[in-house]
Amino acid sequence: MIETPDLIRLLAASGSPVRPLRAPHVRAFGWLAFAAALLVMLAIHHGLRSDLDTQLGRAGFVVSIVASALTGVLAATAAFTVSVPGNSRQWMWLPVPALVVWLWTVSYGCLTHWVSIDPEGIALGTTARCFATMTLASVPLSLVLLVMLRHAAMFRPVLAMTLGSLAVAAISASALSLLHDLDATVLILIWNVGAATAIVAAGAIFGRSYLARLSPSLTSR
Amino acid sequence: MQAPDSLIELGFANPAVAFAPFESMSSKFAFEVLGATSSNGRTSVANHSNDPEEPLVGRPGQRLDWSSLMASGQAGDTDAYRRLLETLTPYLRSLAVRRLGDRSDAEDVVQEILLTVHAIRHTYDPKRPFGPWLIAIASRRIVDRIRKRGRDYRRESALLEDDETFDLSPANLSETALDARTVREAVNRLAPAQREAVRLLKLEEMSLKEAAAASGMSIAALKVACHRGLKALRKRFR
Repeated sequence: MIETPDLIRLLAASGSPVRPLRAPHVRAFGWLAFAAALLVMLAIHHGLRSDLDTQLGRAGFVVSIVASALTGVLAATAAFTVSVPGNSRQWMWLPVPALVVWLWTVSYGCLTHWVSIDPEGIALGTTARCFATMTLASVPLSLVLLVMLRHAAMFRPVLAMTLGSLAVAAISASALSLLHDLDATVLILIWNVGAATAIVAAGAIFGRSYLARLSPSLTSR
Repeated sequence: MQAPDSLIELGFANPAVAFAPFESMSSKFAFEVLGATSSNGRTSVANHSNDPEEPLVGRPGQRLDWSSLMASGQAGDTDAYRRLLETLTPYLRSLAVRRLGDRSDAEDVVQEILLTVHAIRHTYDPKRPFGPWLIAIASRRIVDRIRKRGRDYRRESALLEDDETFDLSPANLSETALDARTVREAVNRLAPAQREAVRLLKLEEMSLKEAAAASGMSIAALKVACHRGLKALRKRFR
């Protein structure tokens, strides 16, 4: 084992300049701006749902989409906040009220319609198309969030990644509500909970090994 | 909003202020824990040591601003950064010893905290107090170590007396000792000339000349007696 004074000397010698992170809400805003841009691109490519005008007149639809978007915004803010040491973990409760409202409006939607069989043959059902749109929306959002929250691997990986995945799920659900005719919330949640579990597991493994890797790289100098 | 939970995990919580606003609570505890004082939103560390005659930080009356040192460290000032890590270490060690008890474990944790501080030093905002930031990291690493210790204890079991062994070889050669006794008993049952020949040539490993001198038998007689003795032993153990 290296002696602590030697470790300090090595750490100090490798103390290259770093730029302090911006405030969590500023970083959350940056990620949400990216999400909004992605949503706009998807809308341009895919087109908005045909019955959007009618749906916007329905209170249930408006409550659902506002609640999911708000869950996304608040979960992203909470994820960026709890990932910084010194901030309370109580921030994790921030998206909960909006999440409760959102889940209250959930329906099974397109979860059960994977394949359509009709006289013209077997074709991909709405679920498959939902899945494709959801993947297009959530994968870039998850990757960007993962990069932005990578420092949390050393601090609160599980909490930060869980909140981050919730933010991705909520934003993806909002996007799909605007793009697809069916409610994809359950599908999105299942997908994102799975992704969150994988990310958290990877974070738990690689977060520790990152620390372990850092140590020999310093001691071998 | 600042973090009271990390301080609570470390056992520094005062229930009387558990419902105080986060901002004031965390700062207060951080300063208390770290022996720091706050002025103009910055955390400054006063001299603080177990032995008041031996201040850990600078000369008596001198103050060292961890926040400023970290800001300088972030800007690439390696000397300020080294001074910061050096002055943090005694405080981290005392925190770790208090929670873990074991000094060797505590030193490992201190190093892990220093590595984490180094790896995520960019997450510190120089406009905010340094204490809660540091305590949150220290708390995390200490709790990790306590969990690891718990996992290790679950995997291990107490050493039973039966498993104990001794460093002297006879204590660990009970089977060999038993075999040797049986052989000696069998040798004693041989005819006197055969017994003498086997004892001298095989058990005491004498040369034929030495055995002849010791027993008064001729070399040829010794050879024959030894051969017949071994044949009889072989027959007995078959």
